[in-house]
Amino acid sequence: MEILQIVGFGLVAAVLIVILRHQKPEVAMLVSIAAGVVIFLFVLDKVAAVVTVLKDLATRANINMLYLGAILKIVGIAYIADFGAQICRDSGEGALASKIEFAAKVLILVLAVPIVMAVLDTLLKILG
Amino acid sequence: MSVDLIFKIAGVGILAAVLHSLLKHAGREEVANLVTLAAVAIVLFWVIDLLGTLFSEVKNVFKLF
Repeated sequence: MEILQIVGFGLVAAVLIVILRHQKPEVAMLVSIAAGVVIFLFVLDKVAAVVTVLKDLATRANINMLYLGAILKIVGIAYIADFGAQICRDSGEGALASKIEFAAKVLILVLAVPIVMAVLDTLLKILG
Repeated sequence: MSVDLIFKIAGVGILAAVLHSLLKHAGREEVANLVTLAAVAIVLFWVIDLLGTLFSEVKNVFKLF
């Protein structure tokens, strides 16, 4: 039961953060970053297993790996950006968090351009 | 699950808070500020190490290069 471990870990970290917040807000923020990273690292190997299954399915369905790679990259960018933005927002820097999210959106758009072009190509082939 | 890292960081924070208030009562304001700075630097060192691990793992899993 990993969920019990994760919930217990989160509760312990929350108690420590609440203790620290009044005296040392900067250390409390670092504790919350560390707790988030540890929880994510804990479930990351399971995410890796899911990604392997998705890749297997894609090769069996003869889908071009370019598209799956782009989608996986987009998911990775979204996760990292969300992580950073939430930490910024937690420490009171809402404007910085919005900028991080904006940058992530731009990068995702850049990665999605080949897919959009492929869709347009297919559309033109159908029409013409 | 590295719970000990969280306890380590929180321990440094609590120790720094206690030292800060002690030094403040003793009238050593500047040393108290140095203690805070040192605590933040030490903890930042650990957290940046951890963040580097996170980023490289995410890069590996999602094939971000």
